[in-house]
Amino acid sequence: MSVAEMRERHFVATETVDSLREQLRQRRLALLDTDISSYSRSQGRTPVSFGPTDLVCCRTLQGHTGKVYALDWTAEKNRIVSASQDGRLIVWNALTSQKTHAIRLPCAWVMSCAFSPTGQSVACGGLDSVCSIFNLNSPTDRDGNLPVSRMLSGHKGYVSSCQYVPDEDTHLITSSGDQTCVLWDITTGLRTSAFGGEFQSGHTGDVLSVSINGSNSRMFVSGSCDTTARLWDTRVASRAVRTFHGHEGDVNAVKFFPDGNRFGTGSDDGTCRLFDIRTGHQLQVYSQQHANNEIPHVTSIAFSISGRLLFAGYSNGDCCVWDTLLARVVLNLGSLQNSHEGQTRISCLGLSADGSALCTGSWDTNLKIWAFGGHRKVI
Amino acid sequence: MDEQEESQPSAATEGIDGRVAEHQIREEGEQDVNGQTQARIESSPNFIGRHRMAAAMSHLHNQINIIQEELDLLETYGESSLVCKEVILSVESIPDPLLTETIGPVEISWDRWFKATNNSRSNKRWI
Repeated sequence: MSVAEMRERHFVATETVDSLREQLRQRRLALLDTDISSYSRSQGRTPVSFGPTDLVCCRTLQGHTGKVYALDWTAEKNRIVSASQDGRLIVWNALTSQKTHAIRLPCAWVMSCAFSPTGQSVACGGLDSVCSIFNLNSPTDRDGNLPVSRMLSGHKGYVSSCQYVPDEDTHLITSSGDQTCVLWDITTGLRTSAFGGEFQSGHTGDVLSVSINGSNSRMFVSGSCDTTARLWDTRVASRAVRTFHGHEGDVNAVKFFPDGNRFGTGSDDGTCRLFDIRTGHQLQVYSQQHANNEIPHVTSIAFSISGRLLFAGYSNGDCCVWDTLLARVVLNLGSLQNSHEGQTRISCLGLSADGSALCTGSWDTNLKIWAFGGHRKVI
Repeated sequence: MDEQEESQPSAATEGIDGRVAEHQIREEGEQDVNGQTQARIESSPNFIGRHRMAAAMSHLHNQINIIQEELDLLETYGESSLVCKEVILSVESIPDPLLTETIGPVEISWDRWFKATNNSRSNKRWI
């Protein structure tokens, strides 16, 4: 085939891709006969309401000397690991506010941390492009530092996010600025699979966030600077199961919905969205009006244990509590008493394993624990 | 005839779905319209090597297959209202400690954040 012919075919193929994409977009739009809030209203649901002393800050975890960038709870109830600009991981007992470990990191530029399912190890990653594992039961070295027990190297860009595969301390998934996600075997330190990357149909921008399905740990979702979220099956690394379009900015945060059939996203476009993994439908957009066109970015999200509440942290210090069914903000933790310092970015948040507490981490260097202290009505 | 490969990263495998490649091809197309010779084009710094072009084509064909599959599957899915119904059912079936109204059972441990901790109890002194 001549070069000119190849060029012609390439042009035609590109046009075909564009046209098919547009067909797909139109067909999806036609199937969106309602969103969750319209449907819920039609079924007589009314928004959740909170009294002024219902959701309260019941602990402030002080100890970091730099911005908090990431946090993760243990799979049992009360411990948290946090990562900070001060180059340390701290392990806390959130109930007593005590620090059980303060780990000085070999590379201070940390972006993410995770607790292993058994609670015996923590992982972290950042600008060094490596995911480091620390065994909390190891003896400290001569300088009193906990040694790295395993380094997972191979990414060609920063590690933005890491999460252990549930029920085992042996595998974890990372997301990276090199546009890929990787499933690691921690015992060997080797990559089991790489999702996306050159020659594969993966993300076309930095991957910022990852969330593994709690109901089916073979499925995980990633969010990227390419404005999409992608669903992956760990058995099929060559292409994503589905790509979810809709956001107009970097997707900073992804989190599976409690039932495992939906997931939420948070983006630089200021919105959160809920997608259905089976059909690909965008079920709901959670967005607020903003004066003077200054749209705060969504930095982090978490669902309450039933999924009725969506907690979203924003770059302007807001921490909105959304009623996911009615798509209304029912509370802003950022404006409550004892909240983080005014207008400092909420960088991370997460729910305890039993759903009884939310932890928020902020650029004000603190972590705060929020719980329900009001009268509970059982229906 | 030898073809020069461009020195910048492959447009074919840059993840812009062939658009950069397309732009460069269009540039060459314009050169064609201006009546430049094949030899001139092949020595142009924007010329994409045959192999890279083939890789770009393969990538585009993958994209076409993926999107076509999704279009076919979409025909089998119902409207979003069916899914919304599932969401409400799921949300209302799980006890939630952070809600003012929730189904049971309620766990006593949900309120541990507001109880005195072990530390404070151990500070009591017996005279």
